Amino acid sequence: MLSDTTLTAILDTTLGVVFTWLGWKTYKILWKYTPYSYPNARINAMEAKLLSEQRLGELAESRTLQNLIVNLEDTDYKNFMGSATTVDELERALERSLASTYLLMEDILPDRVSGFFRLLLEEWDVRNIASVVKAKKRGEPAVDYVLEIGTIVPRVRAMAEAKTMEEILVILEGTPYEEPYQKLLLDEISLTEFETWLYRTYYSKLLDYALSRKDEEERLILGEFVRTKIDIMNIVTLLRGKAAGLPGEEIRKSLLPGGTLKLDSALNVEDLGMALAELDSTKYGPVIRSVREEAEKDVSAVRDALEDYLLQRVGELTKFYPLSIATALSYILRKEREMRRLRALIRLVASGFSPERIKAIIGGGLAP
Amino acid sequence: MFRPTPMLKLEMITLERYRDSVLTYLHEMGAVEVREVEVKEAQRDAPNEFYRKAASYSIIMSRMADFLRLHLPTKKGGIREFIFPPERKKRRYVYRGIEKLIEDVEAFLSEVEPEIREVEGEINSLNTEMERIRSEIAALELLSEFDVDVSYLRHSGIAQVLVGKVEKIRYGSLERELLEALEGRVVLVPKERGDTVVLAVVLLTSDYERANPVLAKHSFERIEIPEGEGRPYELVRTYQNLLGRKERELEDAYGRAAEIASKRYDDLKFYLELVENERNKASALNMLARTNMTFALTGWLPEGEAKKVEEGVRKLTDGIVYLRFSRPSEEELDEIPIKLNNPGWARPFEMLTEMYGFPKYNEFDPTPIIAFTYSFFFGFMLTDFFYGMIVGIVAALLVKGHRKFNDGTYRFAYTLLWSSLFTMTMGALFGSYFGNALDVVGQYLTGNPNFGMWRITDPLRDPMFVLILALAIGLAHLFVGYTIGFIVKWKNGERKGALFDQLSWMLVILGIVLFATGKGVPAFVESAEVLFGIGLTLFAIGEVVSNGGLAALLIISDFFGFVGTWLSYARLMALALATSGIAMVVNVLVQMIWGIKFLYIGPITGVILFFGGQFFSTAINALGAFVHSLRLQYVEFFGTFYSGDGRPFTPFMSRREVSEVVVESSGKNDSGGV
Amino acid sequence: MEPIVYVSLGAALAAGLAGAASAFGVGVAGAAAAGAVAEDEKNFKNALILEGLPMTQSIYGLITLFLILLSARIIGGGFRFTANTPDNIVKSAILFGAGLTVGLTGLSAIPQGIIASAGIGAVAKNPKTFTQGIIFAAMAETMAIFGLVGALIMIATGVGL
Repeated sequence: MLSDTTLTAILDTTLGVVFTWLGWKTYKILWKYTPYSYPNARINAMEAKLLSEQRLGELAESRTLQNLIVNLEDTDYKNFMGSATTVDELERALERSLASTYLLMEDILPDRVSGFFRLLLEEWDVRNIASVVKAKKRGEPAVDYVLEIGTIVPRVRAMAEAKTMEEILVILEGTPYEEPYQKLLLDEISLTEFETWLYRTYYSKLLDYALSRKDEEERLILGEFVRTKIDIMNIVTLLRGKAAGLPGEEIRKSLLPGGTLKLDSALNVEDLGMALAELDSTKYGPVIRSVREEAEKDVSAVRDALEDYLLQRVGELTKFYPLSIATALSYILRKEREMRRLRALIRLVASGFSPERIKAIIGGGLAP
Repeated sequence: MFRPTPMLKLEMITLERYRDSVLTYLHEMGAVEVREVEVKEAQRDAPNEFYRKAASYSIIMSRMADFLRLHLPTKKGGIREFIFPPERKKRRYVYRGIEKLIEDVEAFLSEVEPEIREVEGEINSLNTEMERIRSEIAALELLSEFDVDVSYLRHSGIAQVLVGKVEKIRYGSLERELLEALEGRVVLVPKERGDTVVLAVVLLTSDYERANPVLAKHSFERIEIPEGEGRPYELVRTYQNLLGRKERELEDAYGRAAEIASKRYDDLKFYLELVENERNKASALNMLARTNMTFALTGWLPEGEAKKVEEGVRKLTDGIVYLRFSRPSEEELDEIPIKLNNPGWARPFEMLTEMYGFPKYNEFDPTPIIAFTYSFFFGFMLTDFFYGMIVGIVAALLVKGHRKFNDGTYRFAYTLLWSSLFTMTMGALFGSYFGNALDVVGQYLTGNPNFGMWRITDPLRDPMFVLILALAIGLAHLFVGYTIGFIVKWKNGERKGALFDQLSWMLVILGIVLFATGKGVPAFVESAEVLFGIGLTLFAIGEVVSNGGLAALLIISDFFGFVGTWLSYARLMALALATSGIAMVVNVLVQMIWGIKFLYIGPITGVILFFGGQFFSTAINALGAFVHSLRLQYVEFFGTFYSGDGRPFTPFMSRREVSEVVVESSGKNDSGGV
Repeated sequence: MEPIVYVSLGAALAAGLAGAASAFGVGVAGAAAAGAVAEDEKNFKNALILEGLPMTQSIYGLITLFLILLSARIIGGGFRFTANTPDNIVKSAILFGAGLTVGLTGLSAIPQGIIASAGIGAVAKNPKTFTQGIIFAAMAETMAIFGLVGALIMIATGVGL
């Protein structure tokens, strides 16, 4: 027979263990999901407000730029349009709208992941700097290439307005872009190498950020997202290189590290067709196969297909993990796609294409 | 009842020139679901110019309607409007083809559009203007630190003034580098404002190119200097006066917009509805197949409508038409659209069935059963006479107000009305009137501490009785489900499934019932054991047949799945007791407060607390009863037999709220139905 | 332990644990509701109903608290277990157990809040998923209901009202 005190002690210990375990589990659950509650509901509501296929179709029916502007004033882009009347101004408005989306994500998502969206916005800096420097080198008016999006738009603008290449160095002083630019000025590296350098630094930063997340789910989702993006970049670089008839070693220099693909065998083949065949055995095989014929003519078909694949993949992750970062990623991809389509649409409407043509182009080129 | 409406497949070929009138007739009638004609390489019709016009007008007009609605004079009587929404008058429109319709719409638009556009444009430009003035005022407020005439701040000539903002931490290095780059030919006037520095930079215009990169590097953000003369704080006043003037102009424009809205809104809605229906009609065009002279249409329609459709179409086409109605074949089973078919009293409950999914054509429509079980479970879980009455009164008002619209509110209110009747009955049976409120009042009035209303039993004192009742009801509910499943499967030829999935559980349930009712009688117990045994054996064979090796595991998990499903009905008891529990809590609190005699505070707050608490309790418990009653139908009951895989019947139908159309074709008057 | 300790602990745990869990649950769902409404006010009604679902557990806790207090006659005059007899200790321990059951099963309010939160997100994207969202969230409540059933039986048959 156990004594009363022993019995009480056993009971107390049991209760203590149960409560500690429950407390810990509760804490974990709350820590994991609560921070996503607000942003994900909001993002879902925002996703409902993205332009539907039907709405895009109606926009394509606008026929004149004025009508299109009036139609766009019905949408959330209204707040960014101001008194835009030209194609350029409209494009700036789209860019500002996209930039504000990144910033909103950074604002509402939990601190432990929100930095990722600031980083995504930085990709536009990289693009801007690359295109401004390229234009400057070629002696074209660089201002036309500046997109109104990124974390350092005023600086990029000043770069584009700069009279000499040295002035740009002053502007870039103290940023991570300074070192490659200096080397470029000293002719130590070529323009292509400069661009690769920028992207390489950027993507390794992005990947580091993704893989340093504490929560397993976040690490998994962000990791897959970044790696897929890197794979897409690499595949497109590879195919472009092969289409231009570059040797494997030359292309290898432009590849980014950190992807999931081993491209060695594909690098060493003769031409584009064989490179496509080599990629067939990778996990992107089915995607690439579906656009094989167009790809032989234009590599950007592969890029579009792969981007759709990424969108679809992130969509699957959203369904698996409804209260996670995937929802925001999926939204941002959709928003980017919407912006690309709208940009095309605006140009097509302004150039007086017929609604049927426009629908065929933006529907066929970018739709899933 | 119990079966979906019998459907017929419609195939029709007639002359191309009758296309628009036939389509319009079908559209207004709304009895046919149009399907794509399955002919390979058939020519398809695309919307012609008029349909495209209809689409673009509907966009323009719906935006104008949105604009006008914002400016409609606000109506009063929100709750009254909600319960008794006024019926909208329908305006007649004589339909003479889409060409004429577009013409009419254009005539209307040419009159109204400029009016609306003008005032809309004015409001927009006033708003932009005011936005600009506000931003200039904000800029001036930043500049107020500089106590000089603003014209100095935008000076440019040989020397130039730049005004802007820079982060405070960057100011030091900016100053240093700027002095260095311009070799000291620069004057900086910094004014601190929190984390930023408002800064005026005076430099030689020729030095601008050199200064710019340094400024950009430090993210120097230029401020546009507003136009005007005078010191910033003086200029602010000028701008504020201007803002006031614009505000008055805006008020004025709003007034005019309201005037236009009250005059034109109804007309606009009418024409908008006309073009929207044309646009919707165009969606059927690419499902038709055509040749140069003829077109073909296929679709499904309820058997009862066939005669009317045939007559109507023959008349419209002067008899030049090939029409064929055929009964669906076995292969088409998955194609047939489902329209539920229930008598009037059960029809609103179709909403609940549809929310889960439609039955297949050869399956059972459980709506009439749901009508009773759903309402009964709702009543069981609420079990309070007065709560039922509150719900019932609200539901009855809504039913009365919304009957003529047959909308979602009406259907939901109708289901609530049924549920409230069960709630009152159950409340009376268990003597629950606002919980134990009547008992307490009775005890107080009669002075008898044991006073109580009549009741079968007090659920709070005898929860076992309620629990057993709940489980018995659950068993009966499940038995009904399995029986339906058995009959449907047997009829449809799935004999094996019927035996193993349904009959097995029916026997098990019978066994449990016999065992529970006949404890003392050996014959009952024996036959119970036999039934239970046969049922379990059937179930086990079924598992082995369908799952093979995994059966051993699945037998255990599925058996406990059944037990879990059954025990799930315990929620009937838990929620019923929760209702009386909360009601009792409110009553106990009120009793405690009642004692405060000072200034009648006790009785006054008591009455408020009593009604507030009971209304809150009604709302929260009714929500619980709704959710869990529905859950018992969807998860437990439907799990026994229902697939919900059917595809709903979506007729090709016009939507008319403010208009009605009379079709007039080739000189004859054919009523197109409304 | 004294019977009064068992009784008051039981009552406190029932209402306290379940109440805290409900607060967390409603909090999680409420944040989602705020997010959905921030983008589109039309989501208000649906979000409000979904947000309210995790509240039920606190009500079960409250009912249990009152039943325990009634059963021990802390409400309604004269504490029943003043004497420290074995019978009284057993009965008060049963009341403690009932309270603990409801308190612990009431923790289901937290996952329910999370489901409701995901449901609010889904409804914001597609309003047609409203009823489904409610049913999904109601699933998590089953455990709390079973807890309440158990507690009611323990109180009514083990001690009596």
